[in-house]
Amino acid sequence: MTWLLLVALPVASALAVWTTRAASRASTVLLVTTAMTSIVAIGHAALPAVSPFLEGYVHGDATVQLFAPVVNVIFAGVAVYVRARVAIEPASRRFVFLALAFLAGSNLALLSNHLLLMWIGLEATTLAAALLIVRADAPSSRLASWRYLLFSSVGLGLVLLGLSCLTRSMELSGREATLFLDAMPAAVAHPADAWRQLGVALVILGIGTKLGLAPMYSWLPEAYDESPAPVTAILGAVQFNTALVFLFRIVSVYRPGSGELITGALLTIGLTSVGISTASIVATRNFKRLLAYASINHAGVIAIGLGLGSSASFGVLLYVLSNAFIKAILFLTAGKIEAHYNTKDTKAIAGLIKDLPFSGLFLMVGTFALLGFPPFGSFLGELLILSALVTSGQMFVFATFCMLITVSFVATGRTIFPMIWGEPKQARTWPPQRVTGALHKLIFLVLLLVLGIYIPPQLNALITQVARTLEP
Amino acid sequence: MNPVLIAFCGALLVPLFVASWRLSLFGLAVQGLLMAWVSYELDPSLDSLAAWTTMFDLVVVRGLGAPIALYAVLRAQRATARHDVIPPNLMTWTLAVALVLVAFRFADMLVPLEGNEHSFVASASAAILLGLLVLATQTGPFSQMVGALRIENGIAMFELGVHHDPAMQIAQTIILITTILLFRWYLTTLPRTATAKVSAVEGMNL
Repeated sequence: MTWLLLVALPVASALAVWTTRAASRASTVLLVTTAMTSIVAIGHAALPAVSPFLEGYVHGDATVQLFAPVVNVIFAGVAVYVRARVAIEPASRRFVFLALAFLAGSNLALLSNHLLLMWIGLEATTLAAALLIVRADAPSSRLASWRYLLFSSVGLGLVLLGLSCLTRSMELSGREATLFLDAMPAAVAHPADAWRQLGVALVILGIGTKLGLAPMYSWLPEAYDESPAPVTAILGAVQFNTALVFLFRIVSVYRPGSGELITGALLTIGLTSVGISTASIVATRNFKRLLAYASINHAGVIAIGLGLGSSASFGVLLYVLSNAFIKAILFLTAGKIEAHYNTKDTKAIAGLIKDLPFSGLFLMVGTFALLGFPPFGSFLGELLILSALVTSGQMFVFATFCMLITVSFVATGRTIFPMIWGEPKQARTWPPQRVTGALHKLIFLVLLLVLGIYIPPQLNALITQVARTLEP
Repeated sequence: MNPVLIAFCGALLVPLFVASWRLSLFGLAVQGLLMAWVSYELDPSLDSLAAWTTMFDLVVVRGLGAPIALYAVLRAQRATARHDVIPPNLMTWTLAVALVLVAFRFADMLVPLEGNEHSFVASASAAILLGLLVLATQTGPFSQMVGALRIENGIAMFELGVHHDPAMQIAQTIILITTILLFRWYLTTLPRTATAKVSAVEGMNL
């Protein structure tokens, strides 16, 4: 039952922030709440998995144990960032209330053992995020927020429609229709029919929209670009993983009967997403958009790996976990850089390593991790996915993927590295950066290295357990 | 085909050919109320909380709430009467009719036997496909909202007769109400023709 603290704590704090009008302490409340939920999530990850409770609607299986700590720790890092910026731009009560509502929605979605409840959690995060994207000083953020809500509503609508089709398929097979995850494998143990195939395809398309996968990805660059830095980090590292867990659940239940459809759909949208994002990375001069396109690129890589299943599953999980920390580091650093230079144009920024040493360092390390350099987990993850492509005989996908990744690799480096090591264009004054202000990113970096160099046995066991559920 | 479902298809199609925002909203209201009628025909006893929640969702939220909320904003803005929901040309009109035919063909494939279920699937698919057509051809927030609400109605039509746990249905209705309130807020704050400006710095928009 203590798993429920992950939802109850943010809800209680959100209500407290809303009702007590303690605007000055709002960022502290956010920090304390996220720290507490992180402790709860990490604590539970170390304990045995919990079978469904609360009439079967909530559970704490290996997937929850793996993703809940990641989501909550990243949220705590975002809270540290918000707290550190209080002196510059006070966090409003509205922001903290919405952030806590978002966290409650994310945790509810992760803990759900019922697909409809999971959908409700995802919708709750979407509604909160739509308002979080809006910045009072930037009218263009309202348009980005609208587009985000529109695409998310349509995407999640398709998911709901897909769930209806899956339910109908179960009814037609003469079994009791259920959306409880633990009961679904037995309920879907019949040959795939048209309803089921349609349902699986709609869910993949709908969740693909939330992940920023082609064809409905165009909301992502705009939303990531216009959002305040902490919100971009939340969207990229928290909401992305919550939506991904939904896809994991569908894949694990339906792979046995609809494996061919899942593989075909995920490989197609994955490769298309990598192709589109690569072309966009080459063309853009806006560093926040570049990171957004890189996110689409990574979502594509994850879709390809997930489509393959088998030996790629462990690599996919390693890649997903590394990616969460990379995005958190890069988007929070991007916020700092934008605040300092007052521009997002890569041509106008140079000499970061001298000008803003910590931000320059994090941008450098984050970019190396983003590009899949060793010793980061993203390197090993990508390597395992590539190896699975070869062993499964997907040579066309392998060749196209390698070519596109190389192009995006060169284009990203060509854009980012001059920002870090180039000659500063003009002298700027900026209060010296303190280590304490970058502590959260340092922690993310350590976790990123852990995933690449030494995975503790308990974490390794959890990843292996989750990977098994994704295999055919 | 059930006369109520024929009327539903009429409420889907007619507003597309008459360029009026008032008729678009009236069409949404009629769709909501007709779905409530169908739902009542399916379960006239209304003896469960889930059935009442569905009724509330269809009548109060979709049939009255959403159209009135958007109507109030446009009226306050003194919006001109003309408003194209899809581009006013022969090609788009043909496409709209073709999509309805595709929806019926699609229903033939999924439900080979003629009957109520076939009609439900056909009507719901038509609503979703026409909603997607509106979204694909429009950039203004109001038209996009109408497109999104048409898709939502199509999904609701698909779900008619399915009752989940009442708590979940209530949560779904709350989400819909919040979404409509957000739509209303965006309609108030966004310019009528809102399109993203893409500069050389942003790069191309694929």
